[in-house]
Amino acid sequence: MSGRVLSDATLGEIARLRDAYPQAQSALLPALHAAQDQVGYLSPEAIADVAQALGLAETEVTSVASYYSMFFLTPVGRHKIRVCTNLSCYLNGAEEVLRRLCERLGVSPGETTADGRVLLEAVECLGACEEAPVVLADATRHARVTAAGADDLLRELR
Amino acid sequence: MSSAPPLTTVRLTIDGREIVVPKGTTVYTAAARAGIDIPTFCYHDRMEPLGACRVCLVEIEKMPKLVTSCTQEAGDGMVVHTASDKAKAGQRAILEFLLINHPLDCPICDKGGECPLQDNTLKFGPGQSRFVEVKRTFRKHLRMGPTLVLDRERCILCWRCVRFGEIIAGDDALQGFERGYRGQIATPQMAPVRSKFIGNTIEICPVGALTSATYRFRSRPWDNGAVASVCPHCGCGCATTLNVRGNDLDRTRARAHPEVNDVWLCDKGFFGYEFVQSPERLTSPLLRRDGVLGEATWAEAIERVAGALRAAAPQAVGVVGGARSTNEDNYLLLRLFRGIIGTNSVDFRVDTAHPAPGSAGCWGLPCSIAEVEAADTIVLLGCDLTEEYPIIWLRVKKAVDRGARLVILNPWELEIARWATHALTYRSGAEAALLEALAGRRDVAAAAAASEVPADRLREAADALAAAARPIILLGRTAVERPDVLPVIAAADALRAARPGAQVGLLRGRANSGGAQLLGLMPDMLPGYRAITDPEARAAVAAVWGRAVPEAPGRTVRGMLEAAREGALDLLYVVGADPATDYPDRRAWEEARRRLRTLVVHDLFLTETAAAADVVLPVLAYAEKSGTVGNIEGRVLRQDAAVRGPGSARSDGAIFAAIAERLGTELAYASWEDVSAEIARLIPGWGPDVRLAPPAFRAAAAGPAGAGPATARDGELLLVAGTRLYDRGTMALRCPGIRGQAGEPFVGLHPDDAARLGVTGGAMCEVRSPRAAIRLAARLLPGLHRGHAYVPRGYEAAPVSALLDEHGPVSVAMRPAGSPG
Amino acid sequence: MPEPLLMKYVGRPGRDAVDEYVRTGGYEAAARALKELTPDDLVAMVEASGLRGRGGAGFPTGRKWRLTPKREGDVRYLVVNADEGEPGTFKDRTLIEGDPHQILEGVLIASYANRVHRAFIYVRGEMFLGYERLRRALEGAYARGFFGRNILGTGFDLDVTLHRGAGSYECGEETALLESLEGRRGEPRVKPPYYPAVKGLYGRPTVLNNAETLAHIPHIVRLGADGYKAYGPPILYSVSGHVTRPGVKELPIGTSLREIIFEHAGGLRPGRTFKAVFPGGSSAAILTAEHLDTPADFDSLAKLGSMLGSSAIIVMDDTTCIPAVIRRTVEFYRDESCGKCTPCREGTIWLSQILDRILDGHGRMTDLELMDGIAQQMTGLCLCALGESVPPALRASLTYFRDEYLHHIRAGSCDVVRAPVAAGGASG
Ligand SMILES: Cc1cc2nc3c(=O)[nH]c(=O)nc-3n(C[C@H](O)[C@H](O)[C@H](O)COP(=O)(O)O)c2cc1C
Ligand code: SF4
Ligand code: FES
Repeated sequence: MSGRVLSDATLGEIARLRDAYPQAQSALLPALHAAQDQVGYLSPEAIADVAQALGLAETEVTSVASYYSMFFLTPVGRHKIRVCTNLSCYLNGAEEVLRRLCERLGVSPGETTADGRVLLEAVECLGACEEAPVVLADATRHARVTAAGADDLLRELR
Repeated sequence: MSSAPPLTTVRLTIDGREIVVPKGTTVYTAAARAGIDIPTFCYHDRMEPLGACRVCLVEIEKMPKLVTSCTQEAGDGMVVHTASDKAKAGQRAILEFLLINHPLDCPICDKGGECPLQDNTLKFGPGQSRFVEVKRTFRKHLRMGPTLVLDRERCILCWRCVRFGEIIAGDDALQGFERGYRGQIATPQMAPVRSKFIGNTIEICPVGALTSATYRFRSRPWDNGAVASVCPHCGCGCATTLNVRGNDLDRTRARAHPEVNDVWLCDKGFFGYEFVQSPERLTSPLLRRDGVLGEATWAEAIERVAGALRAAAPQAVGVVGGARSTNEDNYLLLRLFRGIIGTNSVDFRVDTAHPAPGSAGCWGLPCSIAEVEAADTIVLLGCDLTEEYPIIWLRVKKAVDRGARLVILNPWELEIARWATHALTYRSGAEAALLEALAGRRDVAAAAAASEVPADRLREAADALAAAARPIILLGRTAVERPDVLPVIAAADALRAARPGAQVGLLRGRANSGGAQLLGLMPDMLPGYRAITDPEARAAVAAVWGRAVPEAPGRTVRGMLEAAREGALDLLYVVGADPATDYPDRRAWEEARRRLRTLVVHDLFLTETAAAADVVLPVLAYAEKSGTVGNIEGRVLRQDAAVRGPGSARSDGAIFAAIAERLGTELAYASWEDVSAEIARLIPGWGPDVRLAPPAFRAAAAGPAGAGPATARDGELLLVAGTRLYDRGTMALRCPGIRGQAGEPFVGLHPDDAARLGVTGGAMCEVRSPRAAIRLAARLLPGLHRGHAYVPRGYEAAPVSALLDEHGPVSVAMRPAGSPG
Repeated sequence: MPEPLLMKYVGRPGRDAVDEYVRTGGYEAAARALKELTPDDLVAMVEASGLRGRGGAGFPTGRKWRLTPKREGDVRYLVVNADEGEPGTFKDRTLIEGDPHQILEGVLIASYANRVHRAFIYVRGEMFLGYERLRRALEGAYARGFFGRNILGTGFDLDVTLHRGAGSYECGEETALLESLEGRRGEPRVKPPYYPAVKGLYGRPTVLNNAETLAHIPHIVRLGADGYKAYGPPILYSVSGHVTRPGVKELPIGTSLREIIFEHAGGLRPGRTFKAVFPGGSSAAILTAEHLDTPADFDSLAKLGSMLGSSAIIVMDDTTCIPAVIRRTVEFYRDESCGKCTPCREGTIWLSQILDRILDGHGRMTDLELMDGIAQQMTGLCLCALGESVPPALRASLTYFRDEYLHHIRAGSCDVVRAPVAAGGASG
């Protein structure tokens, strides 16, 4: 049952991160990012590998991961669409954008499409309120998104 | 400006009372000392304050906001109000918040009656709630393993249990998941908790969120009688309280003992009590007649034993066991066998194959359990601390938290390895070489070669020890549980000499081994750790007993079994022990048994040994008798009877007295206290809670030299037997709460060895030693040193003792076994 | 109006390249600081500049530095708070994306001033682009010897580590940030004893500053305290919501809300009237039209029971349903509460349940008192400022917009004409 899932590259990156901090545990968040980037989510095996690499208990690593909204303990879509629904975006029509994306993708916020490709999330202020409503598609920020713009955004997501 | 001396105390006013406390004391603690009650939930006095639950709010003059008294340091001149309107409003607000999502199921909650939430609400809480919304719900009652039940709805997220796992036990067993109002205490995927200390979290949970699976719905706290007892398991002798209702033993709780267990227990202590009232307990004497064991009266049984004793020559009588009896029982044992029968062949070390008297060293912790905290370097050599003496680990953990270095040398990686500064695995058998290297008496390179520890890492460990001011070196069972133990003892002795100030101890023994050693239940010792060869000691004993004690040392357990095989031992008397399972060479036992004329056994259950006996005498368990026991530090601890024993079971001591009487000598004592008083005449300082430290062991002159590091035969593996806290021994099997913890017996091997041998994890294999072959499921252990096969002790169905050889290390062949059949 | 200091080059391409930054005078202030000024000079200079922390609490930066114990031989850390998450705030991100070296130069000077040799920049997890720009900028600055060993030949060493968060507003709170940086759940520590200055990262004295705060430092060194003050002193307002020209506005501190909203941010959309404003992020009490002439500075806003906070100005026009906005903010705090302390964890869920009921048309008349009571029961009792941030806006809304709640309770529906807002409508 000690099936290692993290690649040598990821484990190497985690080892580098561990040595970059005065205390190994500080590397936990970046290590979890690295593990999630490789596996797609933080599976129990990925958590075990990270725990082992940093000398931490798996329970603690899981607990920490579960705290942060960007870490996923169950499988989610490769693509992540994050719609800001906080005040400035809310005041500028974010709900409509979100509704449209839900319709188009056939999911509720927080869910992944049936084909497992796209996760749709309603998120808090993305710190780009001058561009409200804002949608973050993976690492790309889209400004002043309209319902129609949401359709374009989905098309771009290939 | 004159420089005033720094304040060492501060004077403050709480609720109008002037209080002086040491600087650094919190307001909460200051108030508590003055008897002023402030509610708390997250605060627990064994952990740093957290300030999370916010219920301990007080008003402090000149401070703008209410402050949490558990985190606020008391300041000179502070004026504190714990019950002003403002303070009360704050406390009430927090209680109201806590109650909005807490279920109103107190009537069916185990915690009812001893629940801080209930008590605090009554005393400090709001009269009624304004909450009309839907309460947060979770799936009710989750079983988190065999002993723990979690009810997340009742949890008030005080974090005590989580912090216990982080700070006290270091096992991170329970953790907080998610956050905010979704926050919950759990394990990943709700898997069973992996902890040896989870019972403590049940004790410190201030609500009924964590309850005990064994105690669940058994009783209401106000119906419980409480009896002070001592845990009968590992030898640390943790103080416990037994809760009883009528004659039912309902649960075990920790009793505070600052020097031993502080306020904690391990889970074997918490949940390992149910065997006492197992329906399988023996209730009447059994006698073998025409080859068959059958019930008999006490009179018949005593007559049979007395007759056999009368018929045997004194040198042909041997006694093994005693580690499960009280000191007072054992005192009577000694009076009977040493004084009346006249044999020195008594030995409590049933699970040891040491060849000659004195060759096993003296067992025990060199300092008190509490003093372990003060060490600056702790070396564990072949000592699986959490499996063998879990409560000592809690002290080591504290030392580590204070910056102590922890050096672990073991043939397999211990579960506490992540707390170690140096965690190294070695080839079993290299203990003496390692000790010599640590002592700087041997070149590290040679020791590294013998032990297969990388030389640089071994050097680092040796340097750490050399730099230590207050080191403690603990040799465990793996290091000393070998027939060729003499060089190890000698090397440990030499290490102590080489490192002045170092405390060196042999962590061995279970239950009352410490008391048995103190009383001299050994072939060469008398009460008070005095040598049998010491004429003064013998004279002192003779004066009290009115009988001379033979001068020549008797036989060890191994010596007795050898004598039996040679026809020189007629009668073996076994007291609360199971050599058939525990003696590290089953074949040697079986051959000895065949040649014995009479085998007498005291036990609670029909063990393997009892089943082979001629006379089986049912005895009382620890919870059924009062007296004293001794622990691993040599401390004398008192326990009280909590319940009556089953049937006609008697205490060991009563049986010895009856036999003595039958033999014509009355051993008349009015009570165990009388016996204890007589022991005090032989052991200066004897008394409840006195620590009579075991003497520093010395390397005995006698005994064969060691065989040195053993090498496995070609293609084979070196067998190492490991002790497990949870096993399938006589008692654990009869404790439903912990029976399941052990799992199936197995043989562990390194994945590389497994690959080489064509063995896959989980597959059955045959493990063959020159003695026997047994079938076990293979388990891959990446932390095991290559070249070893690890087999746990204590599985009655697959005893590792069948593979072991009393003469030396064993090499085993392993191969996949066909389908069982 | 003086020309902008911090925003001068924001918007020009390629500002994350170290050569481009150096070309416009970058790292000259740092060179001067390291070569000509003592750490104590710098602390005095920052104190004299009057700079107050831009993370939200407005603590005087110079005093914070002075309070950090500087015992010889002690390890100290500098931690930059670039976790920007306060709703409506986007100035740190704007600086990080638009002119990241400015912050790095501030890090260098601040580290020297505080005798720190190890700095960490905690970047919000969702700030993908900003992280990338910072990473490039840092790499370039290392390559030119602005970081690492023997910086600019002065013998001063400094290493900077970029650290990504992973989605948690609470990690912007300084002690929660340190917990997170240590690899744990982002739960705050109790103060006392865990004041970062004294017992911060790994229990060591730690200077913790907001990203914008540090971006001011090179300018203070360059212009001197008085020269810097002549700029206002400057502050970055993040203006958003129902305005036609949202964005970061660098203005002298104390510019009135009216001027900021109606001149610099372009005012409201045609035909709309002003209803309310959060002057300092959603943690600040909302204000109404009668407060528009208030100078947007720390003291003036505090006098109104609100605050400047992170100077995020969120404007709401007459299409806004205030109870719905309050519900959204309460949900935000509910979801971002770490859950460590009772009043924040339970207070937010309770309030959001009541607000849901009211907005679903099942409100009761007693709910307003109840909500006010819950808000009062949270005030001053929470472990950190997150929980303390919930009551102000809620209680202000109960004062200024009581009628809107009452209407919801009585009519079971909203009376605000929600003009159809073209999505993305604020632009134009
Ligand atoms: C819930 C909460 C969130 C915060 N978020 C941020 C943040 O995102 N960025 C920030 O600089 N300060 C934030 N702060 C303020 C910090 O705790 C701290 O005061 C600040 O970073 C100190 O830097 P300064 O003195 O330069 O302002 C937050 C505070 C709280 C209570
Ligand atoms: S489970 Fe119990 S001890 Fe743990 S946090 Fe909840 S209430 Fe506290
Ligand atoms: S007991 Fe003080 S905050 Fe919980």
